[in-house]
Amino acid sequence: MAEATQTPYTLKVENLRVSYQAERGKVKAVRDVSFTLQKGETLAFIGESGCGKTTLGLSLIRLLPTTAAIEQGKIIYHHNGEEFDIVNLSEKQLRRFRWREFAMIFQGAQNAFNPVLRIWDQFWETARAHGETNKRHLRERVEETFRLVQLDPDRVLRAYPHQLSGGMRQRVLIALGLLLKPPLVLLDEPTTALDILTQRSVIDVLRDLKSQMSFSLILISHDLSLAAELADRVATMYAGTLVEIATVWDAYYRPLHPYTAGLIRAVPTLSGERQDLVSIPGSPPDLISPPTGCAFHPRCPYATDQCRQNTPTLIEAEPNHMVACWHWDEVAADGGARMKEQVEA
Amino acid sequence: MSTVQPAQEEAPQKTSSWLQRIWRNYMLRRVAAALFKIWIVITLTFFIVRLMPTNPIDAYVNELMDQYGFSYEEAKDQAAALFNIDLDSSLWDQYVQYMANLLHGDLGTSYRSKGTPVIKMIAKFLPWTLFSVGVSLLISFTLGILLGMIMAYRRESLLDHTLSALASIFSAIPNYLVGMMILVFLGVQWKIFPITKMRGSMSPGMKPAFTWAFIKDIFYHALLPILTYVLTTIGTWMLAMKSSTISTLGEDYITVAKARGLPERRIVTAYVGRNASLPLFTQLAISIGFIVGGSALIEFIFVYQGVGQLLLSSINTRDYPVMQGVFLVITIAVILANFLADFVYGWLDPRIRI
Repeated sequence: MAEATQTPYTLKVENLRVSYQAERGKVKAVRDVSFTLQKGETLAFIGESGCGKTTLGLSLIRLLPTTAAIEQGKIIYHHNGEEFDIVNLSEKQLRRFRWREFAMIFQGAQNAFNPVLRIWDQFWETARAHGETNKRHLRERVEETFRLVQLDPDRVLRAYPHQLSGGMRQRVLIALGLLLKPPLVLLDEPTTALDILTQRSVIDVLRDLKSQMSFSLILISHDLSLAAELADRVATMYAGTLVEIATVWDAYYRPLHPYTAGLIRAVPTLSGERQDLVSIPGSPPDLISPPTGCAFHPRCPYATDQCRQNTPTLIEAEPNHMVACWHWDEVAADGGARMKEQVEA
Repeated sequence: MSTVQPAQEEAPQKTSSWLQRIWRNYMLRRVAAALFKIWIVITLTFFIVRLMPTNPIDAYVNELMDQYGFSYEEAKDQAAALFNIDLDSSLWDQYVQYMANLLHGDLGTSYRSKGTPVIKMIAKFLPWTLFSVGVSLLISFTLGILLGMIMAYRRESLLDHTLSALASIFSAIPNYLVGMMILVFLGVQWKIFPITKMRGSMSPGMKPAFTWAFIKDIFYHALLPILTYVLTTIGTWMLAMKSSTISTLGEDYITVAKARGLPERRIVTAYVGRNASLPLFTQLAISIGFIVGGSALIEFIFVYQGVGQLLLSSINTRDYPVMQGVFLVITIAVILANFLADFVYGWLDPRIRI
């Protein structure tokens, strides 16, 4: 832990809590989430749909819909010795901060561009909004980023968004995201809605970019294989809380939270012995009134009375491996095997 | 052999009829379709106009008897002297004659204003309608779009609720009722507008010229019709723009534009405004036709010398050639407006560009 605090960080989130105002009451979408993103690191957030991943991403860049609000917490951004809390930024400061410092590449790039403007105009207006005045200079930079994402600048820049394929649009959006060389990038489901071959090429592009440019990356995905390929560490989210943060290797081969163990068992493997795929029984909890104690206890084979009454906090169970579970040692001991037995029983 | 083969391949192209060639060219196809539509409308109006009860002569005879106290015999003689039209020729012959004249650009002459070519009458009245209707449409469309966007941005606020209610009320009242209310309340009861001075399309003795005095004068005279058109059409634009803006605001590219740090002004205009107003341009074309057709009662109420008033008086006197001429102009206006809308739309939205 001492080692971790010494390395420079890009983003430090402390006790972040985000709620949506709904008819039935408050939807607690993100509950007391804390994590640190090291400089140059890739941190992947995984979890089922509706676990609060995207809400977390939107709140980091303060783009929550008007029905949602950050209730408490800090989002400390650190770059070149300067640090400030994103939560306290004014609209004007936010506008300058977004994209130049922190680019968010959204899921559904299919609809990420203004349909009536040419791609070049959208690059130009983005650069101009952040102080670029020289078109020729920008053109050179755009061509450079286009080479990185394997796009033909002459053809693509002249095109309207609808003239590009889904995979191309995704790569154009990635190029646009990296245009200003932001120190921090957030990728929200970058391969969803793409066919399998296109996914492959986008993943390759992303991996190349990561090795060539030094940005910190937050990856939000329900695609575990994507997380495994790109991430350094994996954070598992369940019902708006972080339940485990571990290195990719630990998360996949030594999960300490039964939910992470369950998620990994739900994914088929190509190599190795044939295993039965197991889905996690039950469904994600209601975020308006989440279960008492550990939110996962109704679906958890390890659950005891302690889990039903007391909420576990995120503790460093093993070196650089944080988990929020009362029984992580049991999970570690049997490798989460009970997640499988539960279904068979 | 090799020299013969290309010739054989060319042969079917040469024999392809001019109809096929028109079909292949998008522009020509549109023009052909437009001409076809105009012909249909001309034919329909030709017969429908003649299906109306009473004919021009009876209408004239009745008018003379009612207004000037002529006896039936006197009125009939008077009418016979005025109308030397051959009503004996069959309807079919009249139709063929009319179409033949039309092909030469001849719209015929008025029955009532003896010998005045219809084209001259339309040329005299149409500019005023185009002017008043065009200005109102411009005001109502731009203002409606602005207000609709404001309503969408401030939705569920007091401003939104008030404007929505007003928009619904005004778009629900027929324009002639609004016109009459303006006339009665603003003109007669409260005397805000000197309606007798505002009559006509310009002040007597005013010479059309590109001078400030003339422009001020024609706007002064068109003020009340314009006010009526704007009041009765703006509500539709406001409500349409409001719902269109709300759905545009939910689009991904708006969120992405914010994430890109674009200035708010840029997002409002180039992102929200431009995309949200796209569907309204199609409606704009349709409404041009409706408003020209609907100008008759308004121009009658405010004694404005436009084509609508010409239509109304020609209906009263059963002046067939004038009625047909006006309908022809309205048809052409609608078709041209649609034409224009397609081009404007294609220019605004690259996705449907041909």
